[in-house]
Amino acid sequence: MSIRVNLDRVLLERRMSLTELSDRVGVTLANLSILKTGKARAIRFSTLDALCRELGCQPGDLMTFEHGPGDGGDED
Amino acid sequence: MRALGPGSVSSFLKIILDVSYYALWVWVSFLALVTVLVLLLSFNPDLLASMLPGEAAGVLRKYGAGAAVALGGWALMSGGWMAIVERLRKIFATMILGDPFHPDNVRRLRVMGIVLAALEIGRYVLSALTRILVAGDKPSEGSFTLTAWFSVLVVFVLAEVFREGARLRREAELTI
Repeated sequence: MSIRVNLDRVLLERRMSLTELSDRVGVTLANLSILKTGKARAIRFSTLDALCRELGCQPGDLMTFEHGPGDGGDED
Repeated sequence: MRALGPGSVSSFLKIILDVSYYALWVWVSFLALVTVLVLLLSFNPDLLASMLPGEAAGVLRKYGAGAAVALGGWALMSGGWMAIVERLRKIFATMILGDPFHPDNVRRLRVMGIVLAALEIGRYVLSALTRILVAGDKPSEGSFTLTAWFSVLVVFVLAEVFREGARLRREAELTI
């Protein structure tokens, strides 16, 4: 997938741990880890809303689109 | 009445399937044993005559090999039904756990479809063989049953439905 999740960078900038974020947004640590490592297939607006609110950022800060060989694909 | 989970209809059906599975196991073992006995005795008519009353020995002497083939065929077909019931038990076990779209269920349903088709073909073959060997008759035209083949198709379609369900389940697991 060409969507890259920059959650680790945003967390580093905010000096916040994944566990703390998990407590704040009410998403399990396992699910946040899946999101951080780019293994997630989809993200709910409610999750994105909670992440942006707690991290004080825009959705575009959390993820970016990168051109690559998998463009337009839905590969696993 | 709940369809999934512990204490549901699935749980009740699983108990029936468990009982059927073990009953089939006993039945297949019995048939296999009788097949071997009939086959061995058909090679030794004198022993057969000494063991059985005159009339029964005469019948077995006449139809010995044919009877062994028919019994063996029934044992094989019962084994096929056992394989189907075994997979159904596993599918119902996943339903009791509240996870019907487990990826393994797709393979189980496909195997069930293949075994059902093989059983139907086996029924034609066994029917023809029994008529030739036991009755010494020409093979019958076979009783083609549309319901059986319809069931095979339904099972294969269900396998595809479960494959889609398993895919959606995987997607849901990776939706944050």
